[in-house]
Amino acid sequence: MREKQFKKAMLGAGYVSAVIFCLLPFVYMLYISFIDAASLFSKQEAAFTLKNYVNVIKGENLHFLTYLKNSVVIALISSLVTVIIAGLGAYAVTRMDFKWKTAVLLGVLGVSFFPQISIAGYIFKMLAALGLLNTYTGLIFPYTAWALPLSLWILAGYFLSVPPDLDKAAKVDGAGNFQIMAYVILPVALPGIVTAFLLSFIFMFNEFLFALMFTSDEAARTVPVAIALFTGLHGQVPWGDIMAAAALTTAPIAALAAVFQKRIISGLTQGAVK
Amino acid sequence: MRNKAAAFLSRPGVAPFLFLSPLIALIGCLILIPVTGAVVNSLFRDVTFLPQKFVFFGNYISLFSDSGFTRAAVFTLFFTIVSVFTEMGLGILLALLLNEKLPGRGFLRVAVLIPWAIPVAVSGRVWELIYNFNYGFANSFLLKTGLMNSPVNWLGTEAGAFLALVLADAWKTAPFVAIIVLAGLQTIPDELYEQASIDGAGIFQKFVYITLPVISPVIIVALLFRTIDALRVFDIIFVLTGGGPGGSTASLSMFAYERFLSGDFGGGSAVSVILFLMAMSLSLIYLKAAKLSEALK
Repeated sequence: MREKQFKKAMLGAGYVSAVIFCLLPFVYMLYISFIDAASLFSKQEAAFTLKNYVNVIKGENLHFLTYLKNSVVIALISSLVTVIIAGLGAYAVTRMDFKWKTAVLLGVLGVSFFPQISIAGYIFKMLAALGLLNTYTGLIFPYTAWALPLSLWILAGYFLSVPPDLDKAAKVDGAGNFQIMAYVILPVALPGIVTAFLLSFIFMFNEFLFALMFTSDEAARTVPVAIALFTGLHGQVPWGDIMAAAALTTAPIAALAAVFQKRIISGLTQGAVK
Repeated sequence: MRNKAAAFLSRPGVAPFLFLSPLIALIGCLILIPVTGAVVNSLFRDVTFLPQKFVFFGNYISLFSDSGFTRAAVFTLFFTIVSVFTEMGLGILLALLLNEKLPGRGFLRVAVLIPWAIPVAVSGRVWELIYNFNYGFANSFLLKTGLMNSPVNWLGTEAGAFLALVLADAWKTAPFVAIIVLAGLQTIPDELYEQASIDGAGIFQKFVYITLPVISPVIIVALLFRTIDALRVFDIIFVLTGGGPGGSTASLSMFAYERFLSGDFGGGSAVSVILFLMAMSLSLIYLKAAKLSEALK
């Protein structure tokens, strides 16, 4: 009996500390985003204000909404392309017989361990030569290549779970590879496709080093880089504005994580448990 | 014509190659060629405004006599060891908690997921304010609760900056460890624990004799993923300390980035090749440990 009570107390304490540990920075971020920045520097009472949000959204020189748009558009296009290309690859890997299958899978897995910086310098030169620095295209291509390994592994896992009898039956009926993909695999593996898309989107939305090196202004710069480089013009750091921008960026991603938590978790654990 | 095309497509190896070609092309052009390019670049003096010149291992030799580089290498290794240990510990604790049938378990799962899902650059700015010497949350908390008599100079001292980085990094990545470990925990049937309770085993005995053996393969996977990721740490350092104070928290990625930024592509490439070799040797260990080649067959 005593052991049970001890366990209960431990779990309760653990639950509370875990929630505080995970969410405290966000609570603090929200709090600062809603108070007058001046009260941060002095000892006076903090007054509620929406001024920081107005500054961030209306401030023309900040371009915050443009950065947000860049991030969303680049991440959306890249994850769409990633899922299509990885889907074709996953179909080949799970549904076709060929000699160098293991080599492809291991090669792709190996690539995902490359440090980003080891390719960033050379890609910078390539993009500069092609005139693609500071453009959407200049980020979409490297992002897609970068996210392909993870998507291929996730999709291959889900495609394997589609019973092979289904596509054998379709083959007997005269269906080609593309028809099998569209009418047999796609409907059954749809949750996997959503998972791969979501994870790619989150990874690309969060990406920092490429965006930092390959963009220079609001034409293509993404939100993480903009917020990282966001310093005041007049010496003092505009913490209220920064926290409001951070909150506006956090909200959609946090909502995505909350709605799709099961999908995200299953995607992340793919392969790790096998 | 049509028959020829059909005959070509039905040859073994052709259709799989066609399906894989976009993937291979993209990875080839944007990952394999750039890595090879970095290796080649690292053998040249490739500095803006100077004519290119083949210097063989010259860039590498000058790196090893550069105290900034050795410092970055030592910092990267030290940071990797300390932060990965912290993350693994916190992550396993979080996973054990998530595995319990508690009321509000769904909320906890979302709370754990959010730090992982938010861009490091964004949460990094929040940590920067938390660590602020004059008005950050960390110092006002420590002073008000009486845990400290004077404010801690988090980002202005070497030890403070190191701790600050480890905490911010662990906060971001412990959730990832927790999710991977949780998947392992969920494969343990409840009956095992019930039987052990009947046999009189306590909480800690159950953890050591039932839980640990089952989740150890998953722990190895999480450990190696995290180690390889920590070796290339960049974002949180760029945002929180910028490599300071005095270059004491510059990681190898940061060091390479600064070389690129200053226009020294040869030197930057040499640093990134060294980092690449470190990560690849670790991932080879990973491939062996996880015996993935077996699982693929």
